[in-house]
Amino acid sequence: MSMVNSVDIFSVRARTPVRRRRRQRIWLYIAAGALLLVVMFPFFWMLQMSFRSMDDIFGFSLIFKPTLENYGALRTGDFPKSFWNSVAASVTSTLLSLVIGVPAAYSLSRARFHMQNRIALWILATRMAPPIAFTIPFYLAYRQLNLQDTITGLVIIYLTFNLALVIWMMQTYFDAIPQTLEEAAWVDGCSVWGTFLRITLPLTAPGLAATAVLCFIYSWNDFFFALILTRTKAQTAPVAIVNFMQYEGWEWGKIAAGGTLVMLPVIIFSFLVRHYLVRGLIAGSLKE
Amino acid sequence: MMWFNKSSLISVEAQRKRSFLLGLLPALVVLAAITIAPAVYLFMTSLTPLDLTRQEETAGDYSRPWTNYVELGSDQRFHNSVWVQVKLSIFTVLLQLVVGLGVALLLNAPSRFLEAVRTVFLIPMVLPPIVVSIIWKVIYIPDVSPIHRLLEVFGFPIESLITNPKLALWAIAVADTWEWFPFTMLILLAALQMIPDEPLEAARIDGAGSWQLFQHIILPLIRPTIVVAALFRLIDSIKAFPLIYVLTNGGPGMVTEVTNYYAFIEAFNFSYWGYAGAISVLMVAGVFFFSWLINRMAGRSALQET
Repeated sequence: MSMVNSVDIFSVRARTPVRRRRRQRIWLYIAAGALLLVVMFPFFWMLQMSFRSMDDIFGFSLIFKPTLENYGALRTGDFPKSFWNSVAASVTSTLLSLVIGVPAAYSLSRARFHMQNRIALWILATRMAPPIAFTIPFYLAYRQLNLQDTITGLVIIYLTFNLALVIWMMQTYFDAIPQTLEEAAWVDGCSVWGTFLRITLPLTAPGLAATAVLCFIYSWNDFFFALILTRTKAQTAPVAIVNFMQYEGWEWGKIAAGGTLVMLPVIIFSFLVRHYLVRGLIAGSLKE
Repeated sequence: MMWFNKSSLISVEAQRKRSFLLGLLPALVVLAAITIAPAVYLFMTSLTPLDLTRQEETAGDYSRPWTNYVELGSDQRFHNSVWVQVKLSIFTVLLQLVVGLGVALLLNAPSRFLEAVRTVFLIPMVLPPIVVSIIWKVIYIPDVSPIHRLLEVFGFPIESLITNPKLALWAIAVADTWEWFPFTMLILLAALQMIPDEPLEAARIDGAGSWQLFQHIILPLIRPTIVVAALFRLIDSIKAFPLIYVLTNGGPGMVTEVTNYYAFIEAFNFSYWGYAGAISVLMVAGVFFFSWLINRMAGRSALQET
């Protein structure tokens, strides 16, 4: 993991490659700007669609009168509830994963268990399994446990990816903190977990925050599990948008507006933790 | 330290170890409950002809446990889905690597502006996949797509891609690449910034051009990272679902029906849960086997290089 620890792509203080001449720089900026517009065009297109009135929703002229009617239309119906379901499921899943996973990560970091590698392999295997391998047993089990169409059901299955993420990421953050601080506290009679709460954890606060945000993002973005395990009561926002596609003509205004609203929290949070995204994305594999 | 005898020292250590174990245990229990238990349940289900529309007869019917697997052996649709998955995975990973590397190379310079561009390029990757699917649904429906319209205006009208059996899979691969190129871009940018200046400077002084620099210095140094990125994307490519669900529904025909999707259809359209379970078990086995294979090859090639 040393490869990505010391490098920050979003900091201008990143190391300079071979120096370029000033004129080449301008061409570089133009090329980058053009690339930006081309690549992000589909994204901006949907964005502008959400502000167009329904009778001109597919209009190609870039000059139009923006309206909020699509967003207004979302207020009636199931969408607001689904949005809050997403919030509930994501926040709860994040908190639960942290509560269970952070102490585990700390234990794995500090104590040398002989089953360490087995656990690492186990977690990696969890990440590799296709979601359908989880959804089938969970769906069948939930039918009997009455957990179908519940937030609780979602939170539990979200643990399959969030718990692994928390353990992997937090373990690397804990590994980076020298044990000498803790050992000093231990000698002074402080308990293991007391030391953890008072000394170690505060030191990993940024990493902890980044991990929490990533858990939230992964939970929020989930579509497959929510589609299969919820119906009406616990339906999350991504699935609610799909409901606008079930009728005769797709309600594109609501789809675009709904899509914009659903992506807003994720974009904001991602921007906040962008420095940690690389580590979060590849959490685990480079440890070998 | 006379009062510190050996036995009390050991017990402090043991106590601490026990504390750590207590911290680890809940996670292990939960992990076992949500991974091992479902895995066993999945396997057991795959041994039955479970059909939720005829639950009493089919649940727990282990009379002919391997029927599903035998049937899969001659299931054309299943074989097709595997082939589609292979095609999609290979093409999409290659495309993501090429695009990610290209963008990383372009944006690899310290500059406020480029830093902002890199940040904006995060967006496709962090968007909820369903939103990505909606975005590309609009792009791929000719009547409403600005891209189709643009091509028309310039005199190159093209037919719909997602209803064309030959092009539908590539259309999905393009959308998938748009969604995930920031991932490879980020990882490769990190690797590029780890490349020391000296060999590059020295080569430049000796007159090497940009392409030669790339070929002989940069590429070899970032090759391990490329492999890691490729592996990650390969494993994640099997999970592609929203794009297929929204853009093509596995069609036209079955040309975009990957194994994941086929299992989904068997379970939720036909209610053949036992059969879908068997497909899933084979998928998991395939993924694990493939990873093991890669691990073996990587280990061997590392040995060859020493």
